[in-house]
Amino acid sequence: MLKRIWIIFTRDIRINTREFMTLYMMIIPLILAVGINLLSPSVNDTSVNLALIKNENPEQAAYFDDFAHVELFSDEERVEDRVRSRDDVVGVLSKDNGYYIMTEGNESELVIEYAKLLNVLYESDVQLEDARSEIIEFGRTVPPLKKMLVNMLLLVISMLAGMLIAMNILEEKVDNTVSAINVTPTSRRAFILGKSLTGMFVALFSSIAVILITGFYTVNLGQAALVIFSLTILSLLIGFIQGLNSDDAMEAAGSVKLMFLPMAGSIAGYEFVTGNWKIFFYWSPFYWAYRANDMILSKSGTWPQMILYIGIILVICGAVYALLAPRIVKGLQ
Amino acid sequence: MKLLSSFKKELILASRGFYFYIELLFALVILAVLLFAIPQNFSNTSTEYLYFNLPQGGKEIFMNNILEDDPDAKSEMVGIEAGGKTFNAELIVTDEREIYIVDSEEAVRTLADSEKVIGVVIELDDDNQLYYKYYLQGYESTRLKNLISILNNESTDVLIERIENQEVRPLSTDYEPLTDRENTIPPLIAFSGSLMGMFIMASYVFLDKKEGVIKAYAVTPSSIWRYLMSKIFVILLTSVVSGLVIIMPIIGFRINYGLLLLLLLTTGFFASTLGLLIASFYDNLTKAFGVVYFLFFILMVPGIAYFIPGWEPVWVKIIPTYPMLQGFKEIILPNGDIVYPLLTSAGFLAAGTVLFFITNIRFKKTLSV
Repeated sequence: MLKRIWIIFTRDIRINTREFMTLYMMIIPLILAVGINLLSPSVNDTSVNLALIKNENPEQAAYFDDFAHVELFSDEERVEDRVRSRDDVVGVLSKDNGYYIMTEGNESELVIEYAKLLNVLYESDVQLEDARSEIIEFGRTVPPLKKMLVNMLLLVISMLAGMLIAMNILEEKVDNTVSAINVTPTSRRAFILGKSLTGMFVALFSSIAVILITGFYTVNLGQAALVIFSLTILSLLIGFIQGLNSDDAMEAAGSVKLMFLPMAGSIAGYEFVTGNWKIFFYWSPFYWAYRANDMILSKSGTWPQMILYIGIILVICGAVYALLAPRIVKGLQ
Repeated sequence: MKLLSSFKKELILASRGFYFYIELLFALVILAVLLFAIPQNFSNTSTEYLYFNLPQGGKEIFMNNILEDDPDAKSEMVGIEAGGKTFNAELIVTDEREIYIVDSEEAVRTLADSEKVIGVVIELDDDNQLYYKYYLQGYESTRLKNLISILNNESTDVLIERIENQEVRPLSTDYEPLTDRENTIPPLIAFSGSLMGMFIMASYVFLDKKEGVIKAYAVTPSSIWRYLMSKIFVILLTSVVSGLVIIMPIIGFRINYGLLLLLLLTTGFFASTLGLLIASFYDNLTKAFGVVYFLFFILMVPGIAYFIPGWEPVWVKIIPTYPMLQGFKEIILPNGDIVYPLLTSAGFLAAGTVLFFITNIRFKKTLSV
């Protein structure tokens, strides 16, 4: 049986490579990983944006540049135009006895307070050299946003790998090959499992590559491999649910959208929900996968924790499979 | 008339499949999430760990300052576990902060490390001046570190007084901010409704390609553009219905629905024609998947800028979803700008028309592709 599954898998790889789909699915997460590398430093450096008049007070502009993003404009009218633009930019302009803050009126209080504080520090001649403080760092170089984006990408990979599996199954369903399998020595289950291996392989390859490209090569790769394995099981389940329950690509596309909801909800639940409310997300395997990934990427996960989370993912996947088994069997007929 | 008849036919066919109902269900689920899972406003409480390595009198001055800042602040003794140890702390909860006052520098260091928040030790230097030791994670920007390092050079009371005396001149005073719940609506509408239209449209056409419907158009008196347009109308209808299902119960009747419909229709039209254009290059969804997948991620990037208003590089602003998000936001904002959504709608209509024109030519040339 294993040999037959392998033959179906290699045949699928050949077909999918011919259509570039598998290749796309493997390469695009890598491009996105590079994108995350390029994006996160600039997002992490986000500070308040200040608009000043060029050459009015170069010393002030240089001072502000140590604490905020400074943009210089030729006159007050240009500063006003910039302040009116859609992003949060605050102007610092001169008046009779000092400077005032020009706002558009829709900035958050935090932005305005930050600008006021900087102006006060400048007017009070508080200099960096006079700092009566010391900063001790823990040496973490990966900003939280990058970790979050990488974690999200890992979940999306599993979702899209699931979709690849669904499309492969769907194609066979539409071509009636699933029925034709009845007259061959290969069982339908072996056939479908063989069709799923491509998606599982894509999930495995892309996830590992994304972790390495985004610079997380010092994480516990053993733990990461285990979570990735559980994610591929999740992909398999997603693929089965979508592929066997859809009659055409339209329905599969619609169900992908539905599957994105628990995934996005689980991420939002983990990141934004506090305290006991998190219990409402415990049913979602995405929540546990995201939580496990977060611990791995933060290098704070212990083996018992990982085994517990992966166990929960597998139990949930097993329960969903058991629940949907009659429909899956029906879909295979 | 032919267009209307094609649209009716498409609508009947669509209503027989599950897609229509999945879209409606999805909108209802999003509505339920918005109403029951997302609070009106997220809590912005920050956590800090402090250790006052000062004589008792100095510590009391700081503690009193914290409590005076917020008369509703509550204080209690708690035990916190970190790094295999339990640390005793006095927890002071104010409107904006959760401050844990611990009794050793080791506690500050361990807690700041394990909880990944800022830890501060306040002590006296050799000249009996206050000296601040900050424990940071390491990924904070240089600009933020600079600010933290000079924050306490001047006395807090003096700083507060001077900050309060700073003059702020807003260019507009009639701005009313959205609640956090309302603020999540534009991305949901843009990504779920308009953007998914691209994906669904492509799937829709691939299905017809598979069944040979497009080829059949070559021998019918109806033109390809009518066929494509009838498909777009179905997507637009779904997008409008699901958009209204999400918006109406939350926002009510305080917004300009004419403007909302206009933007929903034009952004949906643009996204659908983009989906059609992609579909014209491939013969099934699996082949087009890479492009759709890649485009989808690119189009998601303005979502980051939407939630971080201080980060808006120029290149993000040229991605079509940026004006989409800002347009929807402007519509649901109380006293929002009318011109921006109108201009955005005009832009999407123009871009959609150009894409439709190109797509029509491609489909005419390659009826079987």
